[in-house]
Amino acid sequence: MKFLCIPCDAQMETQTDGIMPDESKNLSMKFKCKKCGHMIAMLTNKFETEFVSKLGVEVGGASSVGTGPLSMVGSQLAQAKKELDKGKPEDNLVWSEEAQLRIKKVPFFVRNMAKKTVINFALEKGVTLIDAKLMDEVREKVGM
Amino acid sequence: MKTYEDLAGDGGSNIISQVVSQREKLRSRLDKIKHKVALMSGKGGVGKSSITANIAACLADQGHSVGILDADLNGPSIGHLLGVGNERKLEIDEQGIQPGAGAMGIKIMSMDMLVASPDTPVMWTEDGGATSTWVSTMESTALRELLADTNWGDLDYLLIDMPPGSDRIDNIRDLIPELAGVVEITIPSLLSQHIVSKSITKNNTMGVPIIGLIENMATYVCPHCHQEGKLFEGQDVEKLTERKGINYIGKIPFDTRVSRKTDSGTLFYAENKDSITGKAIASAVNYITNFIENKS
Repeated sequence: MKFLCIPCDAQMETQTDGIMPDESKNLSMKFKCKKCGHMIAMLTNKFETEFVSKLGVEVGGASSVGTGPLSMVGSQLAQAKKELDKGKPEDNLVWSEEAQLRIKKVPFFVRNMAKKTVINFALEKGVTLIDAKLMDEVREKVGM
Repeated sequence: MKTYEDLAGDGGSNIISQVVSQREKLRSRLDKIKHKVALMSGKGGVGKSSITANIAACLADQGHSVGILDADLNGPSIGHLLGVGNERKLEIDEQGIQPGAGAMGIKIMSMDMLVASPDTPVMWTEDGGATSTWVSTMESTALRELLADTNWGDLDYLLIDMPPGSDRIDNIRDLIPELAGVVEITIPSLLSQHIVSKSITKNNTMGVPIIGLIENMATYVCPHCHQEGKLFEGQDVEKLTERKGINYIGKIPFDTRVSRKTDSGTLFYAENKDSITGKAIASAVNYITNFIENKS
């Protein structure tokens, strides 16, 4: 799927910081025209996202998280061994119990993407604790 | 106004290049494996995993390097059969995950090795309200990752222990187009034959090469006098193969020790190759290897 800004006749680009679905709800993604800066949101339901999920690819481009061994199994298996979660930049981040519960409530086909958005925000901000307050800040920034 | 074809990429996700990259990773892994064979049955409980493990043992005994992919994601048993416990620590680096080293040096990969504890089921969500639509999706991707991300190394044979049913063969065929073939397994009961016949029909229709049919538990071997007796009467499995136009690989007698590790922790075949059942397993393996050699 591709998006075109009609006035500029230019392709719109995926905004990788724009993926932060509300827990248990639907995926929203932002696209921006690189010429005029106009933004649109694509709102999908979970069935429409199945195709992407089935391929095991990442919306917004492949990340080191998504291209590592057993990336889908490690991130989606409900009770996986801890070793499957190693070697990622977020290893030093601590998730509060509430934040863990909230991220678990995000539909699992976009949980990886939502997690990545929160992690990137925390790394940019230089904090080591991810709590509910930080997740609220992310949602406010993403504007979804 | 520009059309779909005028736009070079997809706006930043590069989905196609991600898919291509996945395929290349899988291909480079599979290219090091000479022969890939799936063992399946439409019916559960026919001894498929025990037969797979002992066929692997026989191949290893002949000097082949062998691996087993436990494609039964929800009912994995290969780790248990080959002595690779859930407590084993995973070794993962950028190149992939190290397979479990089972009895006789057989390499294995199974979901049982990845879950948190021995009694943890494979669950893709703990949300009771989640739709089951996603389960099949997750399983397809999991299967690709287990194949592509395991450091199998150079292997002569990779055996794929399929789950009961015939739906997962579609995934395997898509992932491994060069699949040497499928070994179907049934027990003599009419019910089992009825269900396995559907699996054979599907494979014939889809053009999946069938090496042949193994008749498991065809007879039983008395543990005291080592004589064979019949478990089922008047249910000729060879007639099923004639009707379906496939090869009959042979009978494997029921032996209570087949699905157990031996006292020394190895597989039944390794210590009982001269038994009636051991000889039947060796005969089936010779049939399979001859089929593959003649085909190539």
